[in-house]
Amino acid sequence: MIENPFAEEPKPTSAWLWQVFTGIGLVILLGLHFIANHFVAKGGLRDFAEVVAYLRNPVILCLEVLFLLCVTTHALLGVRAILLDFGLSEPAERRLNQVLKVVGVLTVAYGLGVTWMVIR
Amino acid sequence: MSTLNYRKLSRASRWLDVRRRKLGMWAYVLNRITGIGLVIYLYLHLVVLSSLLRGAAAWDSFVALARSPFYLALDVILLAGILVHGLNGLRVAFTGFGVGVGAQKAIFTVLMVVGAIALWVAALKIFHV
Repeated sequence: MIENPFAEEPKPTSAWLWQVFTGIGLVILLGLHFIANHFVAKGGLRDFAEVVAYLRNPVILCLEVLFLLCVTTHALLGVRAILLDFGLSEPAERRLNQVLKVVGVLTVAYGLGVTWMVIR
Repeated sequence: MSTLNYRKLSRASRWLDVRRRKLGMWAYVLNRITGIGLVIYLYLHLVVLSSLLRGAAAWDSFVALARSPFYLALDVILLAGILVHGLNGLRVAFTGFGVGVGAQKAIFTVLMVVGAIALWVAALKIFHV
């Protein structure tokens, strides 16, 4: 029998708190990202020259990097929550945490690398 | 061993079955399905962004493709996922901190109506209607 999630008190683990804080951050940052890149941009998307000019703006760059950090953390914590439903043993959970940390670092490094190569 | 794995798989996928479930379970399942979809989209998006490294011609030809009605429809689907996940996520966050616990179903319903209106307005904007 699955209990009603509305009746469930979420456990305030650090992972859950990170999920909440990055989620709240994403509501703002993803909103700005979507509006800036799909609604403000002429034709719904920026061409190459416009992308370079956009990312060379230091304020935009900081917001996009913060967005990358938040979205990666939030996404991988979500994946972790789903995989933990498999009832992993403690060693398996530790391995999962390590793998997700590596995936997260690689994802952020990839995003920063692409950004750097575009704006340099 | 195989029985154990089946049990684990069965337990892990129970959330997906919304038959005879109440609104709370639908909200939970919607959040997970949209979350999984958004994770897949995130990595597809990062792969697509790599075409920036191939220069202006590669990126601009992708942009021309992305302005086609098919891709614009995918944008609307993406936005629907973002709105459902984001608005429902806010409800979950507030509930976690003890805010609006007694009115969760009403809050969920109101947020989904707000999301549907926002999606409608955004879809008109995306298709330049």
